[in-house]
Amino acid sequence: MTTKALGAVVAAMAVLVGGLAAQAQGPIRIGASLSLTGTYAKLGRNQHEGYKLCEKDLNATGGLLGRKVEFVVYDDQSTPATAVRLYEKLITEDMVDGVMGPYSSPVTEASANVTEKYKKVMVAPLAATTSIFKRPPDKKRYYVFMVISPAEAYLEGLIDMAAKRGLKTVAVVNEDTLFSKAAAAGAVDIAKKKGMQVVFQEAYPKGNTDFAALLTKVKSLNPDIVAAATYFDDAVALTRQMRELDVSPKAYGVTVGGDLPEFYDTLKANAEYVYGATQWEHVLPYPGNHEFFGAYKKEFGHEPSYHSAAGYAGCLIYAEAVKRAGTLDADRVREQLLKLEMRTVFGDYKVDQDGFQVAHRMVTFQWQEGKKVVVWPDEMAPAKPRFPTPPWNQR
Amino acid sequence: MIRRGAALAALAAVVAGLAAYPGYASGYGVRATLQIFMWIVLAGSWNLISGLTGYVSFGHVAFFGAGAYTGAILVAKVGWPWLPAALAGGVAAVLLALVIGYPCLRLKGPYFAIALLGLNEVLRALVSYFEGLTGGGNGLSLPTLDATIPIYYAMGASAASVTLLTYVIITSRFGLRLMTIREDEVAAEAMGIDTARHKLYAFLLSAAGPGIVGALTARDQGYIEPISVFPLATTITMIVMVLLGGKGTVWGPVLGAVVLFVAQEVVWARYPYVHPLLFGAIIVAVVLLMPRGVLGLLQSRYRLPRTI
Repeated sequence: MTTKALGAVVAAMAVLVGGLAAQAQGPIRIGASLSLTGTYAKLGRNQHEGYKLCEKDLNATGGLLGRKVEFVVYDDQSTPATAVRLYEKLITEDMVDGVMGPYSSPVTEASANVTEKYKKVMVAPLAATTSIFKRPPDKKRYYVFMVISPAEAYLEGLIDMAAKRGLKTVAVVNEDTLFSKAAAAGAVDIAKKKGMQVVFQEAYPKGNTDFAALLTKVKSLNPDIVAAATYFDDAVALTRQMRELDVSPKAYGVTVGGDLPEFYDTLKANAEYVYGATQWEHVLPYPGNHEFFGAYKKEFGHEPSYHSAAGYAGCLIYAEAVKRAGTLDADRVREQLLKLEMRTVFGDYKVDQDGFQVAHRMVTFQWQEGKKVVVWPDEMAPAKPRFPTPPWNQR
Repeated sequence: MIRRGAALAALAAVVAGLAAYPGYASGYGVRATLQIFMWIVLAGSWNLISGLTGYVSFGHVAFFGAGAYTGAILVAKVGWPWLPAALAGGVAAVLLALVIGYPCLRLKGPYFAIALLGLNEVLRALVSYFEGLTGGGNGLSLPTLDATIPIYYAMGASAASVTLLTYVIITSRFGLRLMTIREDEVAAEAMGIDTARHKLYAFLLSAAGPGIVGALTARDQGYIEPISVFPLATTITMIVMVLLGGKGTVWGPVLGAVVLFVAQEVVWARYPYVHPLLFGAIIVAVVLLMPRGVLGLLQSRYRLPRTI
């Protein structure tokens, strides 16, 4: 019985797929595999919506090279193995005209092997890991391009602000995964450059939510700054347990997760004074940013995250390079992407010869009375940080 | 005999077709078929221990991951070619099975299932810990190499080997003893079967395949990380494939792997939000409506041979 039903669905799908293929000559088709389900679903869906809005906006302004633009998107369930197969499908079966990147560093790392093999340009808007782009000469990649700032830059703002205010000692903690490790290493580097002393560094496994042992050690060292390379769940648990154990540094910041509205909703007053880093905020004065925020909210019924904005901007960057090249030819689009300098709703784009992002800036914010207030870098900051962070019982 | 001859001829035609397939297929066709082969090996291997002896392994992906890391380290750090590295992956998985299986399979009951579930988590933690060798949470990136077609043949050969091995076991005295253990372990012991030793042999055989295809997959993808090669979901998928096709049969795992994989490619990639629901529905439907799988159902209805 189930097999029959399954057969019917399969047949229906075959008709649908065939129908799509028949009208494929017209538009420029851009393929992408995205994490619509699985571990990264929440973030991958936002990126998908960024692509969709870009598709709509491009078509509203006459499309690309006089043709309409159409995205072909599959779900990779947040796994690299599936994404690899799907890019192979997009390129060799669906014969898409171009591709855009998937969500997350690990998935991009695996997929880039396929896009390189077929010499397809891939703008990868949500891969923040340096090692995807900076590779030894025998493993060099030619067609993959970075949009967001590298992981190493996430904690730069926190350390820089603290250094300017005379703080001396830093404790760095991080989750033990590709991105968080790089973010922590970046923080250590910057702190050392600024002449600060890294008094503590420790990694905890993915999914860890009990920080009692780690925080007891931190407390005994009493550092001026605690810099944590986190995702969402660990950022919340860490903050809560810092209060319980009364670990009270003069500045405390997290990376991913601290920028989500849920962070404040969960922690309430305990989130006050916490610093966070983000690739993008809707209040930043980039051209068209305000309009993007409004249009996105209207289209999808919720606010965009930086994943949405990066997806949207990455798609526009690819489109701009195609426009300038006047063709979809990979080598000529690559040439344009290498010399392109562009300012989008997401900020600046410019890459070096490895396709590595060098222009985009991250911002650091602080939770102040329930709002994310951008406090770094100075030229983009509408307000000053509330410094130093008072002891827990005075917040 | 004529029916048997026709079946063999059909089988030969399928094998010949698959062997010639990379000559005219697209890159995607080759890679998708390669992954079907991988699932046939995983499902077939799980069937060897759990389908035949009834000892359910909830951690079979541990052998896949162990093979993947062994192969990847040998290729990336020692510079081995991928084929011997894949065989080494199989050897590593068998050694691991020996270490875990020897104590666990001497016990009866659910201890084995629980131990295997733990094994997978322990391995993942170990791989994350020994950063110098494995890259830890950063994962391990292999040198670029386009060997999809040779790996396709290696995967195909593995799938054929596992299926052939299953056939040989099921038609042998060894297989009969395993099935006796499944039906009634106390009775098997009373009949003089050394149950611990038989279970261990079946378990060792079931670890080799996942180890080999783990290493092949690592080579083909060029990048592995702890989360991507030790997911519990992979074990669950291989179990569902075997249950769907028919556990304890030769062709059940093959059938289950092909049907589930194709369904996933055709339907689920297009409807991402409903596919977890569909997956769950299939599990429930199989367990309720045909607990012995498609082949089990056919066997009881049409008096097909036990060795199908």
